[in-house]
Amino acid sequence: MSSTTATSGLSRARRGLAPGGSGASPGRKSKLSAQTTRTFFWLLLPSVVLLVLIHGYPLIHAAVQATHDGDLLQTGNFVGGENFASVLSSPAFWKAAQFTLWFTIVGVFGSWLVGLGLALLLRTKIPAGNTFKVLLLLPWVVPIVVSSTAWNWLVATPDSLIPSIFRGLGFGTPLFLADPTLASITVMVFKVWVSFPFMMMMISAALASVDTTVYEAASMDGASKWQQFTQITLPLIARSTYISWILMTIFCVNDFPTIYLLTGGGPVSATTSLVVLAYRTVFQDFATGPGVAIAFLMTMTLVVISVILYRQIRKSSVE
Amino acid sequence: MSAVLHAHPESGPALGIADTGKTRRVLSEAGMRGRWWRFVLILAITVIVLVPIMVTVVLAFTPGVNSTATGLTFENLANVFNGTLAATWLQNSLVTTLSTVVVSVAVAAPAGYVLSRGRSKAVSGYSLLLFVMQSLPIITSVVPLFILFAGMGLVDNLLGITIIYVGSTMTVATWMMAAYFDSIPISLEEASWIDGCSVFGSFTKVVLRNSLPGILSTAIFAFLLAWNDYLVAIVFLRSNEIFTLPMGVQSFFQQNATDWTSVMALAVVMMLPPIIVFATLNKYFSVGGIGGSLAGR
Repeated sequence: MSSTTATSGLSRARRGLAPGGSGASPGRKSKLSAQTTRTFFWLLLPSVVLLVLIHGYPLIHAAVQATHDGDLLQTGNFVGGENFASVLSSPAFWKAAQFTLWFTIVGVFGSWLVGLGLALLLRTKIPAGNTFKVLLLLPWVVPIVVSSTAWNWLVATPDSLIPSIFRGLGFGTPLFLADPTLASITVMVFKVWVSFPFMMMMISAALASVDTTVYEAASMDGASKWQQFTQITLPLIARSTYISWILMTIFCVNDFPTIYLLTGGGPVSATTSLVVLAYRTVFQDFATGPGVAIAFLMTMTLVVISVILYRQIRKSSVE
Repeated sequence: MSAVLHAHPESGPALGIADTGKTRRVLSEAGMRGRWWRFVLILAITVIVLVPIMVTVVLAFTPGVNSTATGLTFENLANVFNGTLAATWLQNSLVTTLSTVVVSVAVAAPAGYVLSRGRSKAVSGYSLLLFVMQSLPIITSVVPLFILFAGMGLVDNLLGITIIYVGSTMTVATWMMAAYFDSIPISLEEASWIDGCSVFGSFTKVVLRNSLPGILSTAIFAFLLAWNDYLVAIVFLRSNEIFTLPMGVQSFFQQNATDWTSVMALAVVMMLPPIIVFATLNKYFSVGGIGGSLAGR
């Protein structure tokens, strides 16, 4: 469902305009033109008002806050780039940036690999294949608040189920949420668990549109399974892959509940991502300026990453 | 008519497994064995993946520590509804989510129509603007909105978070609607214009009437986003009786971390509506001609 959106949104953006499917005949259009423009204006108005209120105004206000030393109650004095300077020179920021980077890399490629594997497996004829497809979407459908609670039950204390199993197998008792390194890994595995169904849907949709006779022809020409995979399958799903990478990158960088609900950013800020850091800075340390500055830096990074991946989409869609 | 294609579940590419008569004919005995081997593999993976969800359900119906009940019980659910504000949280969540769904569709459908049919520079610029806004982290706008809403009495208020949900679902919802309208031939509207219908009239009478699948998938998207949100709720909701379910579950969990059966009972209450929506409307979950827009262009 979201994949639909995403795809069409991006393809719209890629073409640089709203498409409008089949073209209207120009003659009739000009006749209706004045009325049409007026109607279009009124149809678009509620959307524009909301966009300005919920996205436009806050963005401008945030820019003001990021350059002032105020709090949640008052704007404070203009301090220019001071907030940005203090944020950029704080070790906490760079630690959070580093964690966000790893979290995003593992989240994007981990969920992609799992989703790709399952999509390929489910493409073959399997008894009750569609049932599995639906069941495997559940991690993505279930609210994070619920699944994080379940994961907590499974791993949080030394006596939880998973640590007990490890102990039983003679691996000691891993402290999945108390050890900084293990907690980081656990959060990333949790993220992959939540996200792989999205990737599976995207890739399944792309695979479903591939003509299977291509493979028959290829195997007649003596292409091995691996060659078929790298020479046929991967190029054919390249576009949806890049799109899903872009979206998952945005999802991962902006992710708050997956991390916050499982570890709260701890232990000792080992799993504090930039969003969690921004949230804490504003709502726990009440330092609005630096907090918003962090959010702004994230925004800029996201734009850069999107542009890079966006070019890849254009390249891949040339064929 | 392409609108019909979308509505048809079998044509939803995401769930359709390519199964041609040809492959069935050449299935040898080894192929059959391969099928069952893959069946076992996917079964094992599915079971492992669903462990956290199964654990939640099982614990929710397991007798608690102080309980005298044996076997499976509804005691935990009863305890949660009697001992906490669960009913209020559920109601709050339903009210905000359903309002979000209705208003999102009401705002996104007309805007999506303009995006789909309009050809001016302003329209394409607006389309791009929606894309840019979508990718920005919500935390950036949450802080200014908090200050703005505090002045208007909209903090700790269900209307306040509903407005934000509508705002944040709107961008994607508009594309979803636009993508769906793209699949409806403009000749239908042209026919109604000749009959003297206005642009607005043909939008409501011709286009919207043929857009149920698109509206439903947009509605599902808005439903999931509003129902599952935690970040907006944690910033804007303060009082216990204004909490939505995510906040309720989380606060209850923090206060009763050892009373797992009750926590899980509440968690089941929270995950049931999205699963019901998903189970009943699952064919719309993956609609929208993904195949076409992905591979076709």
